[in-house]
Amino acid sequence: MNTLAIVLVIALILFTIALSIFSRRFTRTTADFYLAGRKVGSFSNASAISGDYLSAASFLGVAGAVYASGLDGVWYAAGFAGGFMVVVLFIASALRRFGEYTVADFAYGRFGSDRIRLVTVLAVLLTSLFYMAPQMFGAGTTWQVLVGKGIFGMEPYTSGVVVIAAIMAFYVGVGGMKGTTLNQIFQFWWLWFAMFLVVAFAFGNGFSYPKALADASKEPIVDTKALTVAELTTPNPATGKTPLEAAKTVMTPEEYAKVEEFVAAKSEGKIPVALPAKNKLHELRAMLFREPGHRYNKFDQFSMVLALVLGTAGLPHILNRYYTNPSGSAARRSTFWVLVFIGTFYIMAPIAGLAGLGFIKEHLANGGTIAAANVHGHLVKPDQVMPTLGNLLGGQALLGVVSAGAFAAMFSTIGGLLIASASAVGHDVYEKYINPNASETKRVLVGRVAVLLFAGLALLIGLAIPKFGLDQAYPALIAMMVTWAFSVGASAFVPMLLTGIWWKGTTERGATAGIFVGLGSSILFIFLNILQTLGKIPKEGVVGFLGSLTFPVLFTFPLSLLTIIVVSKLDGQLPKNVDEIWMRIHGTAHERHERDLGLDKVGGLLGTKSH
Amino acid sequence: MADTTARAAGKAPTAAHVRHGEHVDTIESVDAVFREQRKLSFTYGAIFFAVTLAIPAASVWWEDWYAKPIWGGFTANYLFVSLIYYVFLWVMAWTYSKQADKLDEKLAHMAEEIAAQSQGGEEA
Repeated sequence: MNTLAIVLVIALILFTIALSIFSRRFTRTTADFYLAGRKVGSFSNASAISGDYLSAASFLGVAGAVYASGLDGVWYAAGFAGGFMVVVLFIASALRRFGEYTVADFAYGRFGSDRIRLVTVLAVLLTSLFYMAPQMFGAGTTWQVLVGKGIFGMEPYTSGVVVIAAIMAFYVGVGGMKGTTLNQIFQFWWLWFAMFLVVAFAFGNGFSYPKALADASKEPIVDTKALTVAELTTPNPATGKTPLEAAKTVMTPEEYAKVEEFVAAKSEGKIPVALPAKNKLHELRAMLFREPGHRYNKFDQFSMVLALVLGTAGLPHILNRYYTNPSGSAARRSTFWVLVFIGTFYIMAPIAGLAGLGFIKEHLANGGTIAAANVHGHLVKPDQVMPTLGNLLGGQALLGVVSAGAFAAMFSTIGGLLIASASAVGHDVYEKYINPNASETKRVLVGRVAVLLFAGLALLIGLAIPKFGLDQAYPALIAMMVTWAFSVGASAFVPMLLTGIWWKGTTERGATAGIFVGLGSSILFIFLNILQTLGKIPKEGVVGFLGSLTFPVLFTFPLSLLTIIVVSKLDGQLPKNVDEIWMRIHGTAHERHERDLGLDKVGGLLGTKSH
Repeated sequence: MADTTARAAGKAPTAAHVRHGEHVDTIESVDAVFREQRKLSFTYGAIFFAVTLAIPAASVWWEDWYAKPIWGGFTANYLFVSLIYYVFLWVMAWTYSKQADKLDEKLAHMAEEIAAQSQGGEEA
């Protein structure tokens, strides 16, 4: 039992809850609940956006991806950071100047129809649920590693999902955007500090970046998998070789003898094996750590980069954050600071992954043991590299800091997603269509009920993932699911936002059609990919090709953009007040007026206490 | 949202414009600065996407880029993606933000001048 580590995680949870209860006294209006009163300064907002953005995929997944795949894993970090350039260049200040609450408000204000607002609400909810899924899965798996036991008769995984969903529902429902913002600021700096400590401990223990990279690239990358007897003895149709035969070329005679024994005894369950890795990009080259090709072929090298850099601008919980800035200029400054904060984080994460490779291998080679499953000096589950390395370099104290960091990453992202989902239902639907005359108290209450509903949905999704076998079908499920959410957001929202902001000729019909096409096609391709991976549809033919698209955004983004342009050209029905809308997006009279009145000043994040 | 439109303020609008307190945006001034803003954003955007997509392109076709070690185990590819790319992003974001702020100021001056001319015309 990792007592010290568990104590640290519990301390983090208690602090989070206390912060939410504290900030509750300052949440009176819907602007407070959804936007923290629009008075969040650049530094605070940048910290909160960074906390919102850095999820379990960034904290555990990037180091794990680098540990397993080398350079192709490093791309996750660079792509996640690069996405904010699209936000700062094309979206940040215009969105803030428009001055609403949500992305759906922008769509309604820009194009003037209830239809597009409701379509956008649907897209927000679906994108948020896609992003929620990996967070809940991360909650369950981290609980498995850290606590290893269930509560109230539940399995460890189920316990993790239930506990995290309950905590999130409580702290977001109670604290609203102000509580969530305060928590995200704290959680971001905790996980930044945790990453910094791991890297500092690595350098303190003699780690040299260029030397470690050279050492890691001396021999080809090795894949690790846990396989059943049937899986070990089934030949690969492409090569005719069984995984058992392939493992023999990599594993030592002693290691291989154990696998042979497992197969000969026809044992139940799975045994970890090491397998040779193939270079998918340069097929004739050995797959070295410092070279590209472990994860992505030629096509995916480009589509993965585009999915990551375009996807960031399509995440509703990140876009909503831009409304909390006091001005368009502050929105740009916030994004610059986000790039500095997450950039330094993403520089460190691959260092942790590489350090993990060397330190864990050396520790095991010297006869040491680790809690995580391993074979041939490698972890079977690469996502466990951060806690394992923390434990190895700094004992239970550093393991505790890292585990709390993992929970902080999940809390901060789930918090943002719950606020985005609640605002889509509470603000965009209830306040506009169901009860426009509702009192402020009632509106905030509806926001809180919506948070509870979505926490319940997140719980169901978290529980459903293992039931459908997705965790077995995809080796790096957290990173994969995050990329799906990026693809849906990039295809549904980004074309509408880009054309809505930069092309006056965009019409309501064009934008609505674009959102539908982007949303529908990306979800269709993702489900085809899932069905193909689960073996439910063939790999041949048109359906087989569409199902093989790991990152559909290379097709779905241009498809949505083209739809908007073609339908708008054919339609030609611009809003009657298009000039006024244009001045609202690109003009600054409002900001200058606010500056005269001193309203552009950043208030205390907590504002005024309610009585 | 506009506090008052020109019509509500009792002025006959000669062109579409929005007034907030003493400050006015006209469609001409906003359009003029929008064009410059678009030029700025899309120039930076073109540089960003050219550099970002050049990295995987070089990873596919330029062996010296992805396979030749230049510092310890670092290839140019690894060094760029793991370290230099972030410096590129920071410089781009910083210089863009500064230039966009300057454009905002330009819009402000332009709009103030138009508002002053409009007032002068009414007084005459």
